[in-house]
Amino acid sequence: MLSNLDRKLLRDLNRMKGQVVAVALVMACGLAMLVMARSLIFSLESTRQEYYEAHRFAEVFAHLKRAPNALAARVAELPGVATAQAGIAVQVTLDLAGLDEPASGQVRSLPDFGPPELNRLFLRTGSWLAPGSRGELLVSEAFAEANQLHPGDQLAMLLNGRRKEFRIAGLVLSPEIIFEARPGASLPDNRTYGTFWMPYKEIATAFDLYGAFNYLTLTLAPGAQLRSVIAAVDRLLEPYGGRGAYGRADHPSHIRVSDEIRILQTLSIGFPIVFLSVAAFMTNAVLSRLLTLQREQIAILKAFGFANRQIVLHYLKFAFVMVVGGAVVGTLGGVALGHRLVVMYHLFFRFPDLYFRFDRSAVVLALGVGVGAALLGVLSAVRRAARLPPAEAMRPEPPASFRPALVERTGIGHLFSHSFRIAVRNLERRPAQALFTVAGLALATGILIVPNCFRDSVSELLGFQWDVVQRQDMNLGLVEPAGVQVRDLLRQLPGVIAVEPFRGAAARIRFGHRSRQIGIQGTPADTQHSRVVDAWYREIVLPSEGLVVSAKLAEVLAAKVGDELTVQFLEGRRPVRTVPLVGVSEDLTGIAAHMELRALNHLLGDGDVMNGASFTLDMARRREFLHALKQIPRVSWVGIKESLRDNFRQTTAASINLIQSIYLTFAIVVAFGVVYNNARISLAERARELATLRVIGFSEREVGAVLITELTILALIALPLGLLLGTGFANGIVSAVNTETVRLPVIFTLHNYAFATMVVVLASTISALLVLRRLKQLNLVSALKAPE
Amino acid sequence: METLTPQNLAAAGRPQVFHVRGLTKVYGMGAAEVHALAGVDLDLYAGELAVLLGPSGSGKTTLLNNLGGLDLPTAGELRYRDFDLTLASETELTRYRRDAVGFVFQFYNLIPSLTARENVALITEIARDPMPPEEALHMVNLGARLDHFPAQLSGGEQQRVAIARAIAKRPEVLLCDEPTGALDVRTGIVVLEAIERVNRELGTLTVVITHNAVMAGMADRVIHFSDGRVQHEHRNPTRAPASSLNW
Ligand SMILES: Nc1ncnc2c1ncn2[C@@H]1O[C@H](COP(=O)(O)OP(=O)(O)O)[C@@H](O)[C@H]1O
Ligand SMILES: [Mg+2]
Repeated sequence: MLSNLDRKLLRDLNRMKGQVVAVALVMACGLAMLVMARSLIFSLESTRQEYYEAHRFAEVFAHLKRAPNALAARVAELPGVATAQAGIAVQVTLDLAGLDEPASGQVRSLPDFGPPELNRLFLRTGSWLAPGSRGELLVSEAFAEANQLHPGDQLAMLLNGRRKEFRIAGLVLSPEIIFEARPGASLPDNRTYGTFWMPYKEIATAFDLYGAFNYLTLTLAPGAQLRSVIAAVDRLLEPYGGRGAYGRADHPSHIRVSDEIRILQTLSIGFPIVFLSVAAFMTNAVLSRLLTLQREQIAILKAFGFANRQIVLHYLKFAFVMVVGGAVVGTLGGVALGHRLVVMYHLFFRFPDLYFRFDRSAVVLALGVGVGAALLGVLSAVRRAARLPPAEAMRPEPPASFRPALVERTGIGHLFSHSFRIAVRNLERRPAQALFTVAGLALATGILIVPNCFRDSVSELLGFQWDVVQRQDMNLGLVEPAGVQVRDLLRQLPGVIAVEPFRGAAARIRFGHRSRQIGIQGTPADTQHSRVVDAWYREIVLPSEGLVVSAKLAEVLAAKVGDELTVQFLEGRRPVRTVPLVGVSEDLTGIAAHMELRALNHLLGDGDVMNGASFTLDMARRREFLHALKQIPRVSWVGIKESLRDNFRQTTAASINLIQSIYLTFAIVVAFGVVYNNARISLAERARELATLRVIGFSEREVGAVLITELTILALIALPLGLLLGTGFANGIVSAVNTETVRLPVIFTLHNYAFATMVVVLASTISALLVLRRLKQLNLVSALKAPE
Repeated sequence: METLTPQNLAAAGRPQVFHVRGLTKVYGMGAAEVHALAGVDLDLYAGELAVLLGPSGSGKTTLLNNLGGLDLPTAGELRYRDFDLTLASETELTRYRRDAVGFVFQFYNLIPSLTARENVALITEIARDPMPPEEALHMVNLGARLDHFPAQLSGGEQQRVAIARAIAKRPEVLLCDEPTGALDVRTGIVVLEAIERVNRELGTLTVVITHNAVMAGMADRVIHFSDGRVQHEHRNPTRAPASSLNW
């Protein structure tokens, strides 16, 4: 049976349900985020792991120019190698009937008979290639979906310059392209880039590679050292144009999933910390107030022989009810949100079956963290209750000593109304209380800054990428490097306003014992297209020799301006050069290295060559231009800024908006919760005083004015503090989302601050109105009765 | 009139419950020092109804708090039977209050969120040998008000609930601090009747504090208190029934 002390607990809870619910909700927001993020991490990690295992994802990858198949057997015999699989991977240009712009992609070989050893495919629809078939291929699901292609449809591509029609046998997924984007591109564009698989015989014949391979993947034997295997493979492939083997940690698709997991990890810590500290704060406020009101009750319990332990437990239970409520709502909310967000991942990540997996340990964690937050908030208050000497508590609290407030003592006191005077004196008399209210309001304000800062930072990133850096309308890549006279040819195309050549060269850049594999971008010194800018967005003019690298790459290499870097080119004659680092550029996505075009060509020992061009176009003649472009066989790929932008808006931006709106909703809940809680507490604490004012003849308006004045003064102090606090939160959280693929600039806009201010002002006004309504119901007689 | 000396009482076979010698309690320090108790000598015996009479501020509440284990003296002897209260630990004091003492305060101090019955049951739950809460409430004539909340009861009724709460655990000692202080004469008398009945029927040592000299009539023994010490005491040959008092 329920003990009578627990019965008191239930009735106290019921009487304070508004505040209990407010605290539980705030806690629920933090815990929902925790449960959601942890479950998504669990879903992604375990799904990826299972996918990798079931489909035998390789552990080392290497591209090379061409090697005889016999070499693959030698690789397989290297110590530490478990399985090696040789095949072909080539870039192709597509001719899609429904698409204006040229699309491109990569074709990979499949064994002519039987499934591959490694990187096995998952068949989504259609059928596998028939043994010994010709004119058939498999298409990556993302590309097929974006272009509405189905099994049985025809697809035309240029194989080594020859146009050929293929029938789509099936749509597939591969553990190698969970995230699929053109190499070097930071955003996916599934319409214009895809991956295709056809039998070895067919693709090898088309590219004159029969009996040879240019792509090698392998798995490691248990206990093998990744570094030494890579080194051994590199040595073996070097004479065959090896481009440098790399492990999963450098695999573009693997990195992107890992990055997402890392971002989730940051969020699963950052947001809950902020929310739960607010909840701890509110729990403290609610309990402190309860203890103040129940001073005498505590004394009575003690006088009648209740032990401290029992009393402490009683009040802890009060807090735990809020925690359990918050944990239940938070878990349910987190699971619901997780289900929604996991669907969003289908836009970026292709798994055979990615569904929401509930991380049970997250609930335990949530409960633990919730209890921790509550304990933190409650402990000091409850300890105070335990320490309260019973005899002391029976004495009525001495009347508070008041004195004229500071502002009044300045000599302008006569200017103030009674209401204002009472309000100011009251605030000055209980500075701790006022401080707590200010802190609560400030936290509520601060929490609102974070999600909008996220949104602004993403849009700054895009603005940087597409407006500051990439001024061109379009990029184009050539199949092979060509003389710069191609540029004159390109300039003749309809609608072209300006053309600039560029060259990308694969290289490994080394400094000390650190190195990264990267495509060095060569552009004209006076480029108007792919600009290189410094941290203040000022243009860096590329000098006639030396490398400019992005800040992130400099950081990864631990190199600074003036250092000599070793550049080992992975194409052409594969020269190894020492190049000075002459500048550091700003780049918010990926890592980058820039060089003046002629200097790059010179380093490579080539004449004036280019392997791509960028365009400024007359957009009115865009179709005409693209149509003409399709006729040029040497074009390997095309990237149109507008299409990328549109595509981004429909996918990534939509999902960022979803996440941002979830966080914003939570922040608004918290802001309202805190403000409402504060207003209720101040009303409850002052009920007697306010009733007295009414009794001695103050009008309802005047009494209301006292409360409103107090709240307004506190809000005016809290708002700027809150904006400052939020700036700190956002700085911490947003800059923690800093990976090699994306670095969000931390951006604060006036709009962000104005929005936070507006929400808090609105919440305060509504809370104040609610409290004013309660003021009307204030029972003058009972409020003046002897203390309960 | 026969004076009732401790020796007489002891001779009458009533065991001594409290033994107080030279009890002092000092609040504050230096200039702000207040000697609330300035050397109290007092013995209290089982079953008697003692009225402690003294002006406001004379230290009555302080003495009661010390007797009840709510507060500790600065110096002096204070024993409950063989138990030295001055040496007791916090846990022992809690035990003592739980088992031996019932309090009644001027402002009732009921738990507002619990009904009359629940307020009493709250205490009987932790007591060693309690009576049913209903029985305690019947004793103070509140059998018809079991399920009312404090806010639904008059002051006198609330005070009787407080008495029921105090006696339901069958304490050895009932300590009442100005139990009628917040009440008018008529309700005050009803409350005193309840106290009188408890003392008579349960044989509880009862100490009633008051600054109202009229109440001295209902006592076995009247202890005059001022300036933090016992000035003198006298015994009433017969106890006047509470119903006959008037002020
Ligand atoms: N906690 C305390 N701190 C300081 N002074 C106290 C405290 N409790 C009582 N006093 C002082 O001790 C004296 C006796 O108080 P009290 O025992 O309450 O008197 P009574 O109950 O007879 O009115 C008074 O002067 C009072 O101000
Ligand atoms: Mg007193």
